[in-house]
Amino acid sequence: MTTIAFPTLISRPTSYTGLWSWIGTVDHKRIGTLYGVTAFLYFLIGGIEALVIRGQLSTAENDMVSPEIFNQLFTMHGTTMVFMVVMPMSAAFFNWMVPLMIGARDVAFPRLNAFSYWAFLFGTIFLNMSFFLGGAPNAGWFGYANLTGNTYSPGDGVTFWALGLTILGVASLAASFNFIVTILNMRAPGMSLMKMPVFVWMALVTNVLLALAMPVIAVALIQLGLDRVLGTNFFNPLAGGDPVLWQHLFWLFGHPEVYILILPAMGIVSETLPVFSKKPLFGYPAIVLAGAVIGFMGWFVWSHHMFTVGLGPAANSAFTISTMLIAVPTGVKIFNWMGTVWGGKLHLNTSMMFSLGFIAMFVIGGLSGVTHASPPTDAQQQDTYYIVAHFHYVLFGGSILGLFAGGYYWWPKMTGKRLGESFGKWHFWTMLIGFNLTFGPMHWLGLNGMPRRISTYAEGMGWETSNAIATAGAMLIAVSVLIFIINVIRTISSKQEAEDDPWDGRTLEWSIPSPPPAYNFARIPQVKSLDDYWYTKHPELLHDERGEQTESPAPVEEDSHGGGSIHLPSMSYYPFVVAIGMSIGIIGFMEIRVDIPSTDLQLPWLSVVGIVVGMWGLLGWIFEPVTAEGGH
Amino acid sequence: MNLRRLLRPLRSRFLFLIPIAPALLVACNKEDAQSTFGTSGPIADTQASLFIFIFWIAVVVFVLVEAALIYSIVKFRRRGDSDDSLPEQTHGNNKLEVIWTIIPVIILVVIAVPTIKIIYDQDGPPTDQGPVLEVNVRAHQWWWEIDYPGEDVVTSNEIHIPVGQWVNFTMHSDDVIHSFWVPKLAGKLDIVPGDVRQLAMKADEAGFFFGQCAEFCGEAHAKMRFRVKAEEPEEFQAWLDSMRRPPVELVSEDAIAGQTLFAANCSSCHATNTWQAPAARNERTRLAGLRTAFIGNIEDSAVIPAPNLTHFASRETLGAGLIELNSENLIKWIADPDDVKEGNRMKDLAAPYRNNSLSTNDVRQLAAYLLELKPIAADAVVAAVDLGGTAEERGEAVFAGSSGCSGCHSTGSATLVGPGLADLSSRSSDAEIHESITDPGAVIVEGFPDSVMPQIFESTLSSDELTDLIAYLKSL
Amino acid sequence: MAQAATVQEQHGHIADTNTGISNRKLLMWVFLASDCLFFGSFIATYLVYRNESLAGPYPNEVLDIPITSVSTFVLLMSSLAMVLALHYAQKDQLGLTRFWILAVAVLGAIFLGFQVFEFTTFVNEGLTIRSNLFGTTFFILTGFHGLHVLMGVLWLLGMAFAHFKGALTSRSVEDLEMAGLYWHFVDIVWIIIFTVIYLIGFSDGEGIETIEHAASIIGG
Repeated sequence: MTTIAFPTLISRPTSYTGLWSWIGTVDHKRIGTLYGVTAFLYFLIGGIEALVIRGQLSTAENDMVSPEIFNQLFTMHGTTMVFMVVMPMSAAFFNWMVPLMIGARDVAFPRLNAFSYWAFLFGTIFLNMSFFLGGAPNAGWFGYANLTGNTYSPGDGVTFWALGLTILGVASLAASFNFIVTILNMRAPGMSLMKMPVFVWMALVTNVLLALAMPVIAVALIQLGLDRVLGTNFFNPLAGGDPVLWQHLFWLFGHPEVYILILPAMGIVSETLPVFSKKPLFGYPAIVLAGAVIGFMGWFVWSHHMFTVGLGPAANSAFTISTMLIAVPTGVKIFNWMGTVWGGKLHLNTSMMFSLGFIAMFVIGGLSGVTHASPPTDAQQQDTYYIVAHFHYVLFGGSILGLFAGGYYWWPKMTGKRLGESFGKWHFWTMLIGFNLTFGPMHWLGLNGMPRRISTYAEGMGWETSNAIATAGAMLIAVSVLIFIINVIRTISSKQEAEDDPWDGRTLEWSIPSPPPAYNFARIPQVKSLDDYWYTKHPELLHDERGEQTESPAPVEEDSHGGGSIHLPSMSYYPFVVAIGMSIGIIGFMEIRVDIPSTDLQLPWLSVVGIVVGMWGLLGWIFEPVTAEGGH
Repeated sequence: MNLRRLLRPLRSRFLFLIPIAPALLVACNKEDAQSTFGTSGPIADTQASLFIFIFWIAVVVFVLVEAALIYSIVKFRRRGDSDDSLPEQTHGNNKLEVIWTIIPVIILVVIAVPTIKIIYDQDGPPTDQGPVLEVNVRAHQWWWEIDYPGEDVVTSNEIHIPVGQWVNFTMHSDDVIHSFWVPKLAGKLDIVPGDVRQLAMKADEAGFFFGQCAEFCGEAHAKMRFRVKAEEPEEFQAWLDSMRRPPVELVSEDAIAGQTLFAANCSSCHATNTWQAPAARNERTRLAGLRTAFIGNIEDSAVIPAPNLTHFASRETLGAGLIELNSENLIKWIADPDDVKEGNRMKDLAAPYRNNSLSTNDVRQLAAYLLELKPIAADAVVAAVDLGGTAEERGEAVFAGSSGCSGCHSTGSATLVGPGLADLSSRSSDAEIHESITDPGAVIVEGFPDSVMPQIFESTLSSDELTDLIAYLKSL
Repeated sequence: MAQAATVQEQHGHIADTNTGISNRKLLMWVFLASDCLFFGSFIATYLVYRNESLAGPYPNEVLDIPITSVSTFVLLMSSLAMVLALHYAQKDQLGLTRFWILAVAVLGAIFLGFQVFEFTTFVNEGLTIRSNLFGTTFFILTGFHGLHVLMGVLWLLGMAFAHFKGALTSRSVEDLEMAGLYWHFVDIVWIIIFTVIYLIGFSDGEGIETIEHAASIIGG
């Protein structure tokens, strides 16, 4: 405990309702909700960007938007969907479910958790403000140097991008540290690593990837930002800088990032498939191992994004082999999911449909991936719509469908109400059909020679029909999202209430009330086996052919917090303050202009303000006890 | 609403048709201009065959997996809401799991072996199939500079190659990363600034093949296209020869007026004189000088490297392979280049657009001039060029013509790449002018960067030309 | 910022974890693993661009290996002081613990002083972050390392003056252990940086490779 009194700068929030209670919250469930709502709003924004892109490309020689606007739109669509939708939506589920599934009362560092969210929010707001402040970033979500240099990207768009993503990177890093520690350290007694739910395993692998990959992109972004504001030479060919260095750094981050985007969804369906098949997960150790192997091998395949850069036959061959190898554990997962479904008793509700849709679509994305894991064929497909089709089958057909499966699955736990099933099925079918109409024809477009990132195309190239179908499909996706929104609104305003365990669940979160109380578990559970909660409901099933070895249960400890009063971390405004300070500190670098001689640099006063605010918040944070006096 | 009944036909059996159906609708049209299947050369042929090989393996896996998935959905779905009995609780099957780990490994080995063989096969042109034609490509935002080393031929955006002969493209980028892609001849290769790339290909049949930049390179990326014209070897040779002959004499009055307009407004950036060997050899250096000038003053630069227009009228397309070259399109292009190709820098930089000084009639005359820019016939007798006139007049011809001076220097006080040369005689002696031409690095005018002006004029200019040029410069 | 903040975070009881390592210490390990990749990327960048500068000043013209060897020695000694501080903290000797914590901070500050001197000298000799690839990669790599040292010095000073008053608790000893982990890490990183920048040979920029590179840019 602290030994000197630090003057109270801001009094702690005390009310558990109202705006201030959300700003001061450190409850992992509320932070999860914040992440989820924010990510969904950005899903709508990114979707609108996609619709404009599809509108522009619906016919040849279209001029609905100018090339400049088009470039901003596809840059922000990619950046938004990756960094502001799939990652935070996964973070929302991590926040909500990881502590509940491992039987913990919160994450390891609740205030750090709040900081992560606020830094994420400020970073995304800053990035999107660029639309109104002279133009959004326009050099692609991959931001290949040296197009991102001042010479070829004048204006502030790319600077917004570099600094905004740096803020998001800090947020992601803080969150990943938090979850790694939470999962490694805070499991309920008896829950060894191999008794963890697969979703928690995938959360662990994802967060390890984040912790190790984010520094790499941070370095690349710092280098880019310094090139732009301070005039350094990292990616300046005129000074001997090599633009390919950016690509190596970007994809050394970017390929693990692909798994950061897909592993959470894989974890989700690994939960939903057994529950709705009424069978244990087929080959739990294999699925866990495959996930870990994917996380490891994901570091050795990055150059397959660069087969056409001209790295030479030796490098291309080596990365061909590593890329093909990583298909093996992915295949293992798919086969094991199918083994789970096989012989089960499938409850085909919306969550299950999204899960099965995930498998069906992810298989297509995986197989099209194999076709361009081969550099000679990739030479024709790289930077064409074939690649766009491929990664949308992985990221939409995979991640987004998987996240919706998780949404329908955990909605009753999170809100105490079930999402409507009939609207849910309309949502699923319109989304699945719209998705395939949008991205299916893109395979053909790419093979027929349509490059990516072109703002328009000539007539008579043979691309009109497929593009028109794709645009129609995109509108159908928009309809499906509308159906989902209506479903959510209807559900929220309905009076029906869900049971605590509506799906006959297998994992610990179903053992507590819906929605869970602030302290989650009145009593920390004792875990004896994988799917422990399921076996408490079906004790007769515990001994079967694979023999979940029944360890002698650990002696039941008294709740470590003693008696009936559970001490939870108290609310705090400081994470919010530190996040603001850090964001302003980074944003302040925009003030430095490259035309000032480097020996004569001025201090960016905005950064100084940010650092002062951040340090003030930090001191408050350090000297504020986690739990207020007499707090609860 | 009975949703279940409504969706039944869709729900399972036909699911797999959904992604395929649109592809079936548009069918495999190999005739499409950039189809990667309608190939015309060995590199693209092999790439397409390899793709089709992998594709069928993928189709087999796809059908098996999706069929198994759909079968289990149909077979194992819960029947009736009241059935709460549990199915058999299996946790896994080691034998099965090992099998479905090994099978993919075998499949991937089957794919990897030919893949790696082809990677090495396609690394450079074969050494045993006759001489290789060398072609230099330099990518610019958003056009392509082409030259044939050793041939003294420079052109842009339309690449002529002979059928049946391997061609080795040596590629540089002038600004950002581009990617050179002619789908019917070969897969793409990125061109990275500060580095060099080699791409070999061969056309097995004559054709006018579409190419396009495949790496996002900025605002007009979508319109950075080009064409490869594969011709029978004798036609190709004839084309090379024609590119080294002087242009025909202008006939129409519009064209003659257009020539003057071009010299005044366009020639700082566009060369039309590389049919002369010294100008052809100097073209790269001239463009590099324009690049340096542009980089040095991005906000206000009036110059930037621009496509070579020598014998422009013998081309078939305009605006980097964008539209057909004809009078109507050319007038549209000159009148408002941004309307045809948004983002291209001509309208931003060139003085006549900034000052809005081109009248409709000017545009028409410029187009007329450009459309008469073609080589004289091969059998035409080239009269010995008798420059005649005074030393100043001959010097003016050198200044405006093959030496390329006018590309960087105005004869007024305006600064292009280099300083304006008006009133030069009051500033410099004969010897100083001579030195500044033959050894430009010796004295640099304050405010201008070092080593921009090429150190080549001592060798490209004859001593007579040099004397005439100095005489002309002193008359300014 | 975030990391420094979290070391003060507390939740649950120290030994009451699955791994037996407290949450805070595990956090520090995870942070250091992450930081490895951060420095790894900057060091890789430096190595990629070694001897690739197209213009001077080149490393052999500015680097003063004897002086930097002294500052390296100072930083290594600070690690020794850190070991002693922890040693006395575990023996519950508050006075000696504080003394050695301050010693670490002072040695770290001396190292920073050397760095400021070095940077100033280089700028006076015409090497800035904009001069060439060497300037860019050198200043940014060593600058970020210096920033890490600065954070460490501030942390240790804060600890010495604010934290280690009164009696030593198991919690404050753990704080010191974490600071020690951080400090040793920063030291090890410096040894790598020192090796990469100062000890492996460097060319004078007249290498054939460089000229080819320049030629490929100018004329191809």
